[in-house]
Amino acid sequence: MALYIGRRLLQVIPMLLLISLVVFLMIQAAPYDVVDSITTPNMSAETIEIIRQRYGLDDPVLVQYFRWLGNVLQGDLGYSLVSQYSISADLAAKIPNTVILVVPAYLTALALAIGLGLWAGANHGRRIDRFIDGASAIGLATPPFWFALLVIYLFGYYLNWFPIIGMHTVGQDDLIDLLRHFVMPYLVLTVAFAPELLRYVRSSTVSQLREDYVLVQRAFGASRAEIFRNHVSRNVLLPIVTQIGVALPLLVTGAIITETIFGWPGVGPYFLTATKSLDYPVILAILLLSATLVIVGNLIADILYVLVDPRVRLERSRS
Amino acid sequence: MSLRTTALVVAASALVLAGCAAAPGATSQAPDPTSSQTAPGGAATGTFTYVIASDPTSLNPINTSDRWGLTTTNIVYSPLARVEADGTVVNELAESIEPAEDGLSVTVKLKEGIVWSDGEPLTADDVVFTYTNKAVKENGNADLLWIGDKPIQAVKVDDLTVRFELPSFSAAALSNIATETYIIPEHVYSGVTDFSVAELDPIAVGSGPYKLVEYKRGEYLRFEANESFYGGKPAIANLTLQIVANADTVKAALQTGEVDASFVTPAQIADLTGSPIDVHAYPEGRVAYLGVVAPKVKDVKARQAIFFALNRDDLNKAAYLSEEYFQNAYSILPPSNPFATTELESYAQDVEKSKQLLTEAGAAGLKLTLGYAGADPAQTVQATLIQQQLAAAGITVELAGVEPGAVYSEIEKGADSAYDLFLGGYIMGIEPDAYSLLFRTGASANYFGYGNPATDALFDKGITTADLAERKAIYADLQRQIADDAVFFPIADNLKILAVNQRIGGVEDAKPAPIYTLENFGKLTEK
Repeated sequence: MALYIGRRLLQVIPMLLLISLVVFLMIQAAPYDVVDSITTPNMSAETIEIIRQRYGLDDPVLVQYFRWLGNVLQGDLGYSLVSQYSISADLAAKIPNTVILVVPAYLTALALAIGLGLWAGANHGRRIDRFIDGASAIGLATPPFWFALLVIYLFGYYLNWFPIIGMHTVGQDDLIDLLRHFVMPYLVLTVAFAPELLRYVRSSTVSQLREDYVLVQRAFGASRAEIFRNHVSRNVLLPIVTQIGVALPLLVTGAIITETIFGWPGVGPYFLTATKSLDYPVILAILLLSATLVIVGNLIADILYVLVDPRVRLERSRS
Repeated sequence: MSLRTTALVVAASALVLAGCAAAPGATSQAPDPTSSQTAPGGAATGTFTYVIASDPTSLNPINTSDRWGLTTTNIVYSPLARVEADGTVVNELAESIEPAEDGLSVTVKLKEGIVWSDGEPLTADDVVFTYTNKAVKENGNADLLWIGDKPIQAVKVDDLTVRFELPSFSAAALSNIATETYIIPEHVYSGVTDFSVAELDPIAVGSGPYKLVEYKRGEYLRFEANESFYGGKPAIANLTLQIVANADTVKAALQTGEVDASFVTPAQIADLTGSPIDVHAYPEGRVAYLGVVAPKVKDVKARQAIFFALNRDDLNKAAYLSEEYFQNAYSILPPSNPFATTELESYAQDVEKSKQLLTEAGAAGLKLTLGYAGADPAQTVQATLIQQQLAAAGITVELAGVEPGAVYSEIEKGADSAYDLFLGGYIMGIEPDAYSLLFRTGASANYFGYGNPATDALFDKGITTADLAERKAIYADLQRQIADDAVFFPIADNLKILAVNQRIGGVEDAKPAPIYTLENFGKLTEK
């Protein structure tokens, strides 16, 4: 297995190179650059040229790309072209903020999905199943930004229970204040994450119930509850463990829209601002990080799958 | 085997960690509804919270040019003087400003007893230091301090007197010296070798109404009153600029009183009635316009035909909803500019004339593409309306709503541009010569590909004429010339709308101002 993991990790490198090159070229293909997004009509052509030179944007595209790549290989993600701040430092400040929001929301969504999914699956075709399935379909179809605005209207404005903006009231750093700011975006994210997981749990419950072993158990006289508790639920829940791996990239890019709406100082607003102004070192850094997490997450998912289900092998047996 | 164990341990610890992080989520279900939150129109908190839409691009007074960078700079630092909306010069740090008779120098005396927020005196050395560094082109904002190919030089006369020496006469010099140059302390920054950076270190020593005490990027900038401010200690002890990008979030936060003030759009005002909020609409001297890429529509009659087909009133009412929120613009200068004239071809709608001009130009069945900022609600409404209005004259318009940066880099291609028309807007200030950056042949912001030797000659004449009445006549001719050449259809000076919670007073004393929001945030009070 060590060999397998090693080989998979090696495959990551060309993939990341390819991703970075494609993203870089797409940014270059955009009809304007970062300097266009910050110049004003008051600037002379000479001033604009000076700014462009300072950012190295007057060099050929490939020169810019390899200069950037060289720095990244030395562990230097570089500086934002607009703010001139260190990207590593910015990310180090923003990723924890995103994690604080995403992890509780994801775990809540997972718990809800497991509970409701099993319940719905066990009552396949009945009213409660149709209700849960319908609700998750609506949840899936609801854009998070719209739901966020509803939540703000109800809890922030109409009931005036929670503050709307940011993570802290300025000048207050205590936990209670953080929690009061946390509730609304957490609720929105939970509702955003839950439906997909729920449908996954429900459908695998339904398909497990159709398996032969259920019929056999019944033939042996086991009660419905026993079959469900001892066999079906286990078979449904084991693959869920692998979801932890697949969810890994959410830690960085899981809440872009929600964070932006609530002014939560995470990766989301940072990424959106950079994208708007074509601040390419920032865009590339976040996409690389996110791509790495997708690849590593899938690897973890594969490994966990083997660990929880001994019938699955990573490699073809050497016959 | 051991690897399998390790992986299990990793997975387990991940779950535990996640569980830890989840714990606060569980308790958060029971918030304290009675805990303090500023009630709308509520009591004094000692803090004024103002929403800005993004981080300032630069906090360095030497090179900042973005809206929020200039807003912050204007709070922390002070200029020698300001040019007011009517063109008068109001002294700030300066006690007096005396142009020499020959027009080749300006002598500035500083007020006595002004100190920096760290207690050091503000002297002529600081002024010379600031202007000398700002005039360095590599620092990125030197344009106003150059006349032709030579910089304006600042020379210390005595501790409180500075003489600005001009390489040649320029009628714009006084305005250019005063505009947007904020004095920085030499004793703090004398060791800085590169002034092209976005932030000076430390960022906290200034001579404005407030001191910057904390900057959390992406969240807020926090200020405290500068007790030694020469304009009087601010009435509200703390000021916060809170960064919020989403306009709907801002609206809700204004309604709940979580923030005190923000710019809003005309469409949002209807939702704010019923909340304890006052609305202040004021001109920024902006001109919103429809531009023609002249190399794409070469015949002046065809361009005039386009303009005669348009209805300015309808464009403005549709985009800005109420006459309280815009003034029609008829010239390259905003209506509030003291040099603006209304005696010019204003292209009142005349569809028959438009059709006739099209026939004369042999351009019947003209097809055009209009580029505009697709995310801008006002431009989107106007673009759609322009399409309809031109259709009535037989001109077909295709709409291209894109990012603003993309519009400008496309039209700069001139004859190869994909767009024939575009929507834009600018704030160029009081000094009419500043507009030469847009309309002089080959100028840096001449998006129109416009070139007329007569216009260039008028710009040359205007900048070298000292007499005010004479200058006004020259710039009136210039506005008429550009109107006749029909590359620029002025639409409106759309007013900036500042929404302020009623618990805050003194907005008019603080003077709503273009770009900076308020001239002096220190004049605000809590009721």
